[in-house]
Amino acid sequence: MKEQEVPDIKVKKLFRKTTFGVFMLFGVIGLSTSILNVYTVDTHLSEEYISNSKGIAKTIADASVDILLNRDLAALQSLIDQFLEIQGIRYIYIANESGEFIAHTFVPGIPEEILHSDPLSTETVQRQLPGLGDFVEVGSPILAGVAGTVHVGMDRGLIALKIQRAIGQQMWLFVVVGAIGVVAAIWLVNLAAKPMARLMVYAVALARNDEPANPELLDRDDEVGQLARLFRHFANQKSPGAS
Amino acid sequence: MLTRRTLLAFGLAAPWFPVRAATGFGGVTEDEFLLGTSAAFSGPSRGLGIELYRGATAYFEHVNRAGGIGRRRIRQRIYDDGYQPDPAVKNSTTLMLDDDVFLLFGYVGTPTVTRVLPLLKKFQDREINLFFPFTGAAPQRERPYGDFAFNLRASYGQETAGLVDNFVAVGRRRIAVFYQADAYGRSGWAGVRKALARHGERIVGEATYRRGTQFTSVMRDQVNILKAANPEAVICIGSYAACAAFARDAVDLGLNVPFANLSFVGSENMLKLLSEGRDDAERYTSLLVNSQVVPSYEDVSIPAVREYRDFMARYNPAVPAELVTEDYTPFPHSFVSLEGFLDAKLMVEILRRLGDNPSRMGLEEAVFTIRDFDLGIGERVSFGPDRRQGLQGVYYTVVDQGRFVTLDDWGGRFANVGA
Repeated sequence: MKEQEVPDIKVKKLFRKTTFGVFMLFGVIGLSTSILNVYTVDTHLSEEYISNSKGIAKTIADASVDILLNRDLAALQSLIDQFLEIQGIRYIYIANESGEFIAHTFVPGIPEEILHSDPLSTETVQRQLPGLGDFVEVGSPILAGVAGTVHVGMDRGLIALKIQRAIGQQMWLFVVVGAIGVVAAIWLVNLAAKPMARLMVYAVALARNDEPANPELLDRDDEVGQLARLFRHFANQKSPGAS
Repeated sequence: MLTRRTLLAFGLAAPWFPVRAATGFGGVTEDEFLLGTSAAFSGPSRGLGIELYRGATAYFEHVNRAGGIGRRRIRQRIYDDGYQPDPAVKNSTTLMLDDDVFLLFGYVGTPTVTRVLPLLKKFQDREINLFFPFTGAAPQRERPYGDFAFNLRASYGQETAGLVDNFVAVGRRRIAVFYQADAYGRSGWAGVRKALARHGERIVGEATYRRGTQFTSVMRDQVNILKAANPEAVICIGSYAACAAFARDAVDLGLNVPFANLSFVGSENMLKLLSEGRDDAERYTSLLVNSQVVPSYEDVSIPAVREYRDFMARYNPAVPAELVTEDYTPFPHSFVSLEGFLDAKLMVEILRRLGDNPSRMGLEEAVFTIRDFDLGIGERVSFGPDRRQGLQGVYYTVVDQGRFVTLDDWGGRFANVGA
């Protein structure tokens, strides 16, 4: 018996449309998720860094009270040097109640922009310090401000890098999941399309009053098998002599 | 059942048991006192740790060879911290908890010592005290940690006050500060600030450098910051490598004013860096004025100096080989090793006063019996509950013909400098 070729043009169309649909769906989900992610991660991480910095500034301010009142500035410097080891903190300075810088971590010196700022203000500010980089600076009063202020500078470059890394990791996860989803969708469509193509070959053979090359379809107990048996039934009714 | 190994172990340990039982404290046996040290034996400030150790060891060696203190020899357990706080804390924990030393002795540096002080309080039940650290900072001289430390040398406050007073006396009132960005630098900075305030002046400019800076580093930024302040003198609070680099670049960039350095700088090492391989070394060294907390080791009219020179020549102590990781050629004599020598001499006297049954608990009492004690340098040493620093004297030196000599005439020395 002559091998009958599978007329797969219709199935390919279905396959392409499904794949395109899957790609489009993932694209829309990916784009919207990315925008939301960038916004959320950026906002939350920035807030978290600023919040941590404020916590550190407050811790130093609280610890400074006793040192300022009872001990010397070497102990104060030793204290802030230890906090400088925390990742992201690039500088710390402490001003007394008259605005004099009594301890700091700057090398080779206190930047002009900070020298000319109001050291008693504890507002959160963004600073661009030539040769040092971009910073978010938070402040905290010492003894409600009557003993001075503590200022902590967080490296914005490092914060941005952390944010980019967090977003990058999420995007990478999304791409991996998306790729697996697309491959799975293709496989599933293919899985559904192949029996359909065989069924079509079977139906065409029946319509031509030929003996179908794939009678095993009749043995299937799924929808394809049921349709094959139905086609066979119709073909038998149409030409009772046929087997 | 007793095995051979158990019997052997008991046999080895047996001589210790009566001593431990008798004294009840660690760090001392029938034949030795164990002193613990963490200091810089590597890195850019290794010269300080090495010289201090050599001076102290010269005296300890002499005492040990003469039979020790009541038959007890002095042994030192030494660790290298590279002048870094974290290793210093780790070493001190090991010395106190694992090595169970009798006391801590001969530490080097403010950033290291200030971080170790809380350990002494934390383990105060062990009664371990810190003796004669090589730093003039305030934290180990005042509460809450002053109760756990004894100092011999004058403070940075006294050194900086003396420098400021002398500069002001010769009309140099515009004083800037170049300092190490840490507790040591801040301690000196605070001393200069306080001394200037007494004269109605303020620090006119300040520049900093990071701890660990080498002589090969460029100090152009620091020099330019200070030049802009137009100072009449610069007080440097740093290590020899950084201060020498600063003096070199300052002169090269046209900042010709006196550069004062504190005792911690390690004068001989600084002079060596500025002089080695240079025909015009005087350009740089003539501007130096270094404060010292011990008299000149060149002044052989001083009994302790003669003794020091004799012991250094006789024993020429070397740092244990396991601590030598970088090249270093020791000086026959130096202010730092002389200080180490005097530290050891006083330490031996205190240990001697502990009597036949020494214990850590008796240490403080023994220290307080030191009254008008003659170390052999002219100035008498006294301690008491409110006096935890033995010496108060500060000496000033300048470079003359390639060596440090005592400065007597500030006006004459710097009359034309920067004019």
